[in-house]
Amino acid sequence: MSKPSDLVQGTLDMLLLKILALEPLNGFAVSERLKQISGDVLQVSDGSLYPALHKLEQEGWISAEWKTTDNNRRAKFYSLTRLGRRHLEKESENWSRLSTAISRVVKLKEA
Amino acid sequence: MRPEHWIYTVPLRLRSLFRRHQADQELDQELRYHIEEKTAQNIAKGMSPQEARRAALLEMGGIEKRKEECRDTRKVNWLRDLLQDLRYGLRMLRKSPGFTAVAVLTLALGIGANTAIFSVVNAVLLKPLPYPGANRVVMVFLHDSSLQVRGNLGGADFLALEEQQQSFESVAAYSSSDGFTLTGDGEPEEIPGGKVTAHFFAVLGVKPMLGRTFSLGEDRVGQPLTVVVSYKFWREHLRSAPQAIGRSITINQENFVVIGVMPATFRFGDQSTDQLWPIMQMQTPHQRPPYFLAVFGRLKPGVSLAMASTDATRIAQSVTRQYPLSAVANATVVPMKEIVVGNSRVSLLTLLGAVGLVLLIAVVNVANLQMSRATARQKEIAIRSALGAGRLRLVRQLLTESFLLGAIGGALGLALAYEGVRAITILGAEIIPRIDEVAVDSHVLAFTVAAALLSSILFGLAPASRVRASRLDESLKESGRGGGEGSRSRVLHNALVVVEFSLATVLLIGAGLLIGSLARLEAVSPGFQPEHILTMQVALPPVHYMQANLTTAFYRQLLEKIQAMPGVQSAAVGMSLPPNLLEIENPFHVEGQSYLPGKSTTLAEEIPISEGYFRTLGVPLIAGRFFTNEDSAPGHHSLVINQTMADRYFGGDAVGKRVQTGDADPKSTWETIVGVVGNVKYEGLNEKDQPTMYVPYYSDGWAPWFVRSMFVIVRTPADPRNITASVRSAISSLDSTVPLARIRTMDELLSESVTSPRFATILLGGFAALALVLGAIGIYGVMSYAVAQRTHEIGVRLALGAQRSNVLRMVLGSGAKLAFVGIAIGIGASLAFTRFLSTLLFGVSPTDPLIFSGVAIVLTLVALLACYIPARRAMRVDPMVALRYE
Repeated sequence: MSKPSDLVQGTLDMLLLKILALEPLNGFAVSERLKQISGDVLQVSDGSLYPALHKLEQEGWISAEWKTTDNNRRAKFYSLTRLGRRHLEKESENWSRLSTAISRVVKLKEA
Repeated sequence: MRPEHWIYTVPLRLRSLFRRHQADQELDQELRYHIEEKTAQNIAKGMSPQEARRAALLEMGGIEKRKEECRDTRKVNWLRDLLQDLRYGLRMLRKSPGFTAVAVLTLALGIGANTAIFSVVNAVLLKPLPYPGANRVVMVFLHDSSLQVRGNLGGADFLALEEQQQSFESVAAYSSSDGFTLTGDGEPEEIPGGKVTAHFFAVLGVKPMLGRTFSLGEDRVGQPLTVVVSYKFWREHLRSAPQAIGRSITINQENFVVIGVMPATFRFGDQSTDQLWPIMQMQTPHQRPPYFLAVFGRLKPGVSLAMASTDATRIAQSVTRQYPLSAVANATVVPMKEIVVGNSRVSLLTLLGAVGLVLLIAVVNVANLQMSRATARQKEIAIRSALGAGRLRLVRQLLTESFLLGAIGGALGLALAYEGVRAITILGAEIIPRIDEVAVDSHVLAFTVAAALLSSILFGLAPASRVRASRLDESLKESGRGGGEGSRSRVLHNALVVVEFSLATVLLIGAGLLIGSLARLEAVSPGFQPEHILTMQVALPPVHYMQANLTTAFYRQLLEKIQAMPGVQSAAVGMSLPPNLLEIENPFHVEGQSYLPGKSTTLAEEIPISEGYFRTLGVPLIAGRFFTNEDSAPGHHSLVINQTMADRYFGGDAVGKRVQTGDADPKSTWETIVGVVGNVKYEGLNEKDQPTMYVPYYSDGWAPWFVRSMFVIVRTPADPRNITASVRSAISSLDSTVPLARIRTMDELLSESVTSPRFATILLGGFAALALVLGAIGIYGVMSYAVAQRTHEIGVRLALGAQRSNVLRMVLGSGAKLAFVGIAIGIGASLAFTRFLSTLLFGVSPTDPLIFSGVAIVLTLVALLACYIPARRAMRVDPMVALRYE
């Protein structure tokens, strides 16, 4: 298992949005899902998770609702808004363009 | 913080506090949930509960720190959003310069007028008087139990009060004077001021800037004469020298030693013009009148007005026992501020109310404008909401725009208000008490900000309430037909116009009532012929005119000189002057009517005059004869009375009857009535006619202290001002130390006597005119907009064969309907509320039907006129063009 990489803020935003695009989750569940999907490569520290989520809420990209969980506890669930969906689309496009460009450079055969 | 401000800020603060507390709690709950889940996960991994919890907490870092970071994101975003909204708002305003200009101007006028009037209300009614602990400074008055008239104290009363009182820290008396003649420093000059007793400055609580004020006992006869001067006097007449203390000045031919200089900010007296305060030295008088002292006191801590009144009444009653022929029995204590500003309260509050209505009308206008604009921008709003802006965000953005408008309008209004306050302080100088304290200070600025904020909220709410985060396709479909939210927004527009018109109606009715009153007042006949009369006031210094014969000799010679001048028809002197310069009233007793010594009966105005008085003024003779020189000879005791007195007390037949004047005393002289003259106004044009008695201004040996000051009146066939110079030289040729004051023609005096109601009427009239203009603009705007919206419908009607004149009538009709409803509501409100104006009205009822109907007609005409242009535009709609806009 490789070391968990440090995530740049903008990228973190995009990842969080993507996870919430799949289904509404609470903060703890989001960080677990991220670990799960990325095979433990990508982890967000508990300390940076909530400020990031709150910032996304301020921007209007996610909205929050207090719901009861399966084990009958109250937790704050976040879901993606319409505005967030559009932002996510834009960011995903940028990201794939960027990563394609990077891999093209990296894959260059050394002469 | 002043109590008024609390009311605004406390709910706001509570709310944000509460929400922040709630948000904090949620944040806390969220983080703790995470910790618990993490702990459970760790336990599942095999850690012990304490280890699991510790590891979870460690990974989170400090909970408080995280909470702080979450809170910070909120703050940064809020500020960024605000800046964005502001920039966007500015851009929007710049894109429609016409709208912005009209809205800003309308708001500026409304807010500016309010700020200006509030400056006056603040300085006059709200601020305490400019003395330390001013709310403890009171005035003491006497009143007769049967007459209900509040009056000054006499020497005996004041001395008794000073000696026996228990409610005051100190008391002082002030004797107003028409001015002190300053000689020995160039031309003789009249300096305003008043004589005061030793504790005067102690009562007011003001310390001198230089030197000292009076010490105890300096106001007893035999002490050296001392005077305290004002800063202005010290600067102008004592060359601001520090050694001025100890120097002597000559006032009214007596030497007073200057002992102190008051600071530049100290104000006292009528119009705050007093410059000199010489010591007043009193000794116990033989009789109780004259009542010439204004008495002030500083209440002891914990003493109420009622307690002080009781104390003063007790003392007044003991004085009555010492002077059994006098009748005064009760005393009352009134806060000094009430005396200074009480009379102007109704006018000022009326003006403030009026100008508030103007602001409301302005706000309604801007709301209408905003709404029209918002509907026009519906497409833009739809696009923005499709891009994800929530309704709250849109509303916030609209409100920010409104606040921007309010801020710009408020700033411009403040600039206008500065000019307005300057104009008011110049024009209202003689009318408004404490005028020198009127300024745009911090309270006024706070008021301006509040007015701008409140206005912004009010006119921002109207369009904001109509914002819907509607779907893009919906609004695009509607925009074909000229868009608009349909009937609901039209109802709001119409409602606003109705509100405007009702407010304008109330204002116009108020102004109309005042204008009617002013006209009636100016039409009142003063009782004589006022044209071509020159008047002036002459005050003989007591020191050189101690005896009666000196005084009478002076006036007799003066009158001879003046009557000998070319261009003079007749001349006379009198102690009082119409229309409102009455000097004394005296009780009197009619022969044959029973009385009790000590109980006075009735009061009449009493006026010492020379024998040419009635002729010079042009007062008609009703019965008997005028005075002749004979009447002043020893042994004669003649009296002339006016019609009112003759009718009321003698059944119209008064000549030959006898009367005693002064306090009821069986031993006082009987005066015989030799003539009855027409009524003359001496207490203002708006007062009812009072009983008046005229006496010759001199009889043998009688020259009371006040007769030295007389009004001189001269009748000339030409312009009275032509003879001013020659009359002046006649006086100075007799005695160069005698100053002249208040040189006016009688016409000027009459005009001056109505300055106060005229000022208020002009202001109110101005506001009403402004309201009228704003209302016209408002209905014009709404009608234009309505016509533009209904172009399609009009096109259909025309295509289906309607006459163009029908369309015209339809538009005019709908406009008129709105106006009618507004006017009706306004009339209803006026009927309920104009009774509060009745103290300002003269000869006009608060529900005068002529004025009410006049206002209704004017407003209807204005409404029709304003609707005419949009109506014509509706008429000219081309049905082909209109129908094509599908």
